[in-house]
Amino acid sequence: MIGLAALILTYVSVQSLVSTLEINIAGSVSSLGGEIDVWAKGASYPLISKINESYAGVIKSIHGVALAAPITLAPLTIDSNEAVVAGIVPDQLPALLNYTMLAGTMITSNQSGILSIGKLLSATVVKHAGQTVLLNGANYSISGVYQTNSWLDYSVIIPHIVAQRMIGLQGGTSMIVVITKDPRSIDNVIGEIRALLPGVDAFRRTDAPSNISPILASLEAITTDIVAIVTLAAVLGIMNSNLNNLRERMRAFAIFKATGASSSQIIRLVLYESLLIGALGTLLGLGVSYTVLKSVSIPVVQTINVSVILVPSTFIYATILGLSVSFVAALYPALRIAKVRPQEVFRFG
Amino acid sequence: MDDKFILRTEGLGKTYGNGPERTIALDSVSLKIARGKLLALYGPSGSGKTTLLFLLGGLDKPTSGKIYFNGVEVTSMNERRLSRLRRNAIGFVFQNYNLVDELTVLENVMLTMMFEGKPGAERRDRAEELLRRVGIAGKERRRPSQLSAGEQQRVAVARAVANRPELVLMDEPTGNLDQENSQQLMRLVTEMVQGEGTTCVVATHNLEIVNEAPSKVVLKSGRIVSS
Repeated sequence: MIGLAALILTYVSVQSLVSTLEINIAGSVSSLGGEIDVWAKGASYPLISKINESYAGVIKSIHGVALAAPITLAPLTIDSNEAVVAGIVPDQLPALLNYTMLAGTMITSNQSGILSIGKLLSATVVKHAGQTVLLNGANYSISGVYQTNSWLDYSVIIPHIVAQRMIGLQGGTSMIVVITKDPRSIDNVIGEIRALLPGVDAFRRTDAPSNISPILASLEAITTDIVAIVTLAAVLGIMNSNLNNLRERMRAFAIFKATGASSSQIIRLVLYESLLIGALGTLLGLGVSYTVLKSVSIPVVQTINVSVILVPSTFIYATILGLSVSFVAALYPALRIAKVRPQEVFRFG
Repeated sequence: MDDKFILRTEGLGKTYGNGPERTIALDSVSLKIARGKLLALYGPSGSGKTTLLFLLGGLDKPTSGKIYFNGVEVTSMNERRLSRLRRNAIGFVFQNYNLVDELTVLENVMLTMMFEGKPGAERRDRAEELLRRVGIAGKERRRPSQLSAGEQQRVAVARAVANRPELVLMDEPTGNLDQENSQQLMRLVTEMVQGEGTTCVVATHNLEIVNEAPSKVVLKSGRIVSS
């Protein structure tokens, strides 16, 4: 039971950590609006992308481009929490994002010391419109609380120019988000950007997650390997424990057989018992995993620590894994014990 | 088929091992067991009594010969049919009781009925009734190890007859009991035979049982020397 609980803890931990990274990293590149993302060539995700801000002007001059908005992203401290801060040119906000103001107003000028805060982060830091928060150690007034139903809800939006100064990126930007006049021209625009600016990579926004997919794929492959190794070890360990346990109870099974139990009934008996113990072990593992993971946070990017995101499907898969391991680990011992010969057990003990 | 006999063996043989270590446990044993009677199987230790009981009960396969139960050959049955036979038609009582100590007395008695798939209420009622009959009422929740030897053997008898088998095989049922408990147990067996028409084969070296049994078979070195 403990072995199975340990397996569940390992599985849920590893999967949750990967999910947390995926959601945070992929989320930060896939929900900024626009049609085309422009990043520094070779950047795996926008938080580590740095390109020249003047490229926005170059891109804007391409035929068919309606908007080329520089966006700067940085992991910063808000009060005692850490979140990704988005630096956006205030005038371009309405064209870029679909948001609803829950309180106050969105930032409208390049004035320093003012920010808009996402709904989730607002709830976390318990600060509302009109109050002040510490952004990277400086006091900022909250102009309003917005909701986007994206990762931006756990973020703050500040003027782009302020973000540049704050992270020392004068003249630069993390990325440029492009909107075309006619969506049918997206591919042409991408081609022109690539031709004009060989130092950047341009792609459809919907392709952004696949841009970081090599990292996530490696992460998932490592996770799969770890889970496979731990699962194999668990199956072998539990099987060995089952064999020893059944060997000790050989006499009871011999009695069952002598009193009329068929082999299939004995197999079922062992499997039911194993599944019951497996269910208890799984439950224990899920409980421990939930408790442990709820109390830890992990660094996602640089100094940003985020709470581990517990995805319900991970717990469902963990339950399936736990029960499957219990079943598989009991199968061979069950088949062996079903072959017990009562006469030999009664004669020789 | 002669309906008078529940069990019949023809040239039954059983050997253990090979080569020089080969042991003949039974050698050409042919016998007929009358329905509804008590048969005492007498012989010294090592005479093959237990081996014969295990073969008759389908717990072991003979090396040679055939066994017919109600005219149907048992020796050629597969494991599935043998299990059904042991469940429905044959009950066992062993010298060392062979009760499952992880289960309560009541659960031990309900075992065969559980494997038979009888409903919970029915098997509970039957088990409680049997435990009353063998004088263990009130101790249903106890573990077998909490009972005396005589009580454990009576529980074993209750378990053996729970599914109303036609045949009960008893291997030295009084071997671990004192005289009083032995007599009490044999009275129970006699009642069972007379009251329910159950056939009993009792392997024993207790001459008192042998003398009181209506029919007897004497085994020596795996052979029937008198019947």
